[in-house]
Amino acid sequence: MATVEVPYQETVPLHHPKTWIGKYIFSQDHKIIAVQYGITAMAVGLVALILSEFMRLQIAFPEAGFMAFFTADHYYQAITMHGMIMVIYLLTAFLLGAFGNFCVPLMCGARDMVFPFVNMLSYWVYLLSVIILMISYFVPGGPTGAGWTLYPPQTITPGSPGFDWGIATMLISLAVFIVAFTMGGLNYITTILQARTRGLTLMRMPLTVWGIFIATFLGLIAFPALFVSAVMMLLDKFLGTSFFMPAIVSLGNKLDYSGGQPLLFQHLFWFFGHPEVYIVALPAFGVISDLISVHARKNIFGYRMMVWAIVAIGALSLIVWAHHMYVAGMHPSFGFFFATTTLIIAVPTALKVYNWILTLWRANIRITVPMLFALAFVLTFIVGGITGLFLGNVIIDIPLSDTYFVVAHFHMVMGVSPILAIFGGIYHWYPKLTGRMLNDTIGRIHFYFTFIGTYAIYFPMHYLGFIGVPRRYYETGISEFYPVAAHNLNKFITIAALIVGVSQILFIFNLVHSYFRGKKAPANPWGANSLEWCTPETPPRHGNWEDRLPTVHRWAYDFGVPGEEKDHIPQTVPRRKAS
Amino acid sequence: MATEGQQHPIKIYFLIWLLLFVFSFFSYLVDYLDLQGNLRWFLIVVFMLLKAGFIVAIFMHMKWERFALIFGILTPPLALVVLMFLMAIESDYAWSTRVVYMGEDPAPKPELPEHMSHKEHGEEIDH
Amino acid sequence: MTDTTLSTQESIFTSTARDWSSDMTTFKGVPWGKAMMWIFLLSDTFIFTCFLVGYMVMRMTVTQAWPVASEVFALTVWGVSVPLLLIAIMTFILITSSGTMAMAVNMGYQRRKWAVFWLMFATALLGASFVGMQCFEWYKLISEGVRPWHNPMGAPQFGSIFFMVTGFHGLHVSVGVAYLLIVATRVVRGKYDHTNFEIVEITGLYWHFVDLVWVFIFAFFYLW
Repeated sequence: MATVEVPYQETVPLHHPKTWIGKYIFSQDHKIIAVQYGITAMAVGLVALILSEFMRLQIAFPEAGFMAFFTADHYYQAITMHGMIMVIYLLTAFLLGAFGNFCVPLMCGARDMVFPFVNMLSYWVYLLSVIILMISYFVPGGPTGAGWTLYPPQTITPGSPGFDWGIATMLISLAVFIVAFTMGGLNYITTILQARTRGLTLMRMPLTVWGIFIATFLGLIAFPALFVSAVMMLLDKFLGTSFFMPAIVSLGNKLDYSGGQPLLFQHLFWFFGHPEVYIVALPAFGVISDLISVHARKNIFGYRMMVWAIVAIGALSLIVWAHHMYVAGMHPSFGFFFATTTLIIAVPTALKVYNWILTLWRANIRITVPMLFALAFVLTFIVGGITGLFLGNVIIDIPLSDTYFVVAHFHMVMGVSPILAIFGGIYHWYPKLTGRMLNDTIGRIHFYFTFIGTYAIYFPMHYLGFIGVPRRYYETGISEFYPVAAHNLNKFITIAALIVGVSQILFIFNLVHSYFRGKKAPANPWGANSLEWCTPETPPRHGNWEDRLPTVHRWAYDFGVPGEEKDHIPQTVPRRKAS
Repeated sequence: MATEGQQHPIKIYFLIWLLLFVFSFFSYLVDYLDLQGNLRWFLIVVFMLLKAGFIVAIFMHMKWERFALIFGILTPPLALVVLMFLMAIESDYAWSTRVVYMGEDPAPKPELPEHMSHKEHGEEIDH
Repeated sequence: MTDTTLSTQESIFTSTARDWSSDMTTFKGVPWGKAMMWIFLLSDTFIFTCFLVGYMVMRMTVTQAWPVASEVFALTVWGVSVPLLLIAIMTFILITSSGTMAMAVNMGYQRRKWAVFWLMFATALLGASFVGMQCFEWYKLISEGVRPWHNPMGAPQFGSIFFMVTGFHGLHVSVGVAYLLIVATRVVRGKYDHTNFEIVEITGLYWHFVDLVWVFIFAFFYLW
């Protein structure tokens, strides 16, 4: 018996909240939750930004009087917190929590996430994890200073800053974050798989949704490894088990540990950690693909290839983890295996870059602010990706390990690039979210400061790395191995970092100012095709659509179709019958 | 949403129930008969996988799901197989370094639990 | 609009390709909650497997002796030491609870609410008794001097791993018991009358998963 499927959300009534608190605080509306996620992530990201400025000042001007308060312990705590906040609490939370929440239901033509209550809970648990993380600044000993990778044994042995209270708050905060992520992530995946609208096949979804889909999936299967290692480390610390702790003499005392395997932590951590890189990168890839296609008025080159590249990267990212551990003393033949898989993963990644460039080729490029960020993303991603090829090879990685080359590499590829994608995405979707345009001039100034500034920060770091300047050093001093030129370069980098940091005020000002005073935004200011631009109202109200969910007839990339009057055809427009 | 539920005769649940007991009993028997070496772990793994398979296929109804779901759920754990395999190699290597470089005893004898041992107190070997 | 005849005639490859390339839903006829539970269980699989991989690494790397599980977990009944007796009973109980749960799911689709309630109640009861026995086992082991940080019989990691893995599994069982009781009460109160009682199946999935994990723990921890 043939049955005609109807989107389930069309058959059930939507309960609108009655009170102000229900609407804006404990809201179950995915758009509000997205904003909440976004604001929290940006706030905690600002903390991490300020920490990095302190670090840079210390590196460049170790003698200066105004840095006297900044001890070595503070420096290591700043390194750790900066890394952890940026990777987990800002990038993961922003790209999946904010963009995921905002884009997934709208682009899938759904009214909301499948379980809005769980979705709301996800945000509040995330907020709790951020609060726990921030509490670590107020516990005895301060936050942990073990580096964001938290390698045992030094993480939990006396001598590292925050080796008892700090590490406890950090690990608990991570575990809570994982709970929050799981609640949100299950929602995104189920929404994408089970709550799409009529006509929206997986292969018609915008690439943003694809990126978020695979990234969330990776998160759901990679975060468990972090959860497990966090639990085991907590037990090591507070129950005295020896999972990761070998017999060890610390500060002259033999500790009560024996027989643990520190490498197990590294393996578990990177079994999470490497997919985490792609959890951050894949949604950025998706956003950038959409931005480039929309603002270049041309269909994305090789859509199917792009989708399969995302899937392939996701699958491969689970078997490359130990390339972070070449110098860790693991099994000698692992280097070969992991270098091979690492270089293989470069193929789908490069394919994406080629496709972005081929999308731009002979396109009708409009240099809007989101487009500027998208173009900048491609550039920084290429630089970061190519240095990744260096570091993926064991013999090149070994001399470069723990130098500024590594710092430059991962900041380019998963620091600056996803941040640029986030900025681009915000400039792109802000009109839909608030009904106001962001100020264009401020946006452009912000872009040039950010893009050129970050290049000025991270590009010279490659050279520092080549001459062997080690990372994570509080103070280096003058030595034969550390020429004066390196000091001067460090001063230059710090000044650039300060300028970039301060210029972010422009962005925040723009967000706030435009919310009240910005130009009224039309329903579809960029002439984009995907479903979020087809909502009956701007900004979309609770429930997003009219009584009937939209029907999708085509992919999201019909720009400049030959023989059509308009230069773009939204996904909801029926296809003409072939004559 | 489809409205037809999963309707199966109760009989199959009893059958699987019974089978699970039988397999558990057999794997228990492996221990009871004190089989050792490769045979032991081969049998344990076979019975374990059989039990797991029946639970997933029948009790969790995966046998009656469409292949789209089965495929989606059963493929990702392959990553875990890789992890497990590589960690086994790694552990073997770590163990050998401990034996070679730290002079640890490669085949230590386990001690019996206190209530079964006939040793006198205070005789514990300090590792 | 797509015609989604749930045909069983086509090959699994054709049907899978069609399902994944269709609109609206990928898992045809699967309610949201069930899809979500499956994906959650997939995530949970990764948690338990990481724990078990940790166990494997500990077991393979320690150079101290690993206690022989069948001797450690033996019970003395009427003067005879029977290896793994308690574990055998616990396994028996958990498998039985899985059986009652499977029947509860079946009754659910027949809309026999009280049958569902009693079967789920029995499942919860069996689960609770499982947790009780686990407590007894912990008690016995602790009284023999095994601690998470110390083990008189050899490698201290034996105690660490044992308490961690069985503790985490026991936590899952306890949560499952609470979940079962909540769902069972809500079923008889008629909260799910407008649905097809998928919630019973979803709860069942979770419960069977707990049983599934026990199968692996039983094999790796007690028999190996």
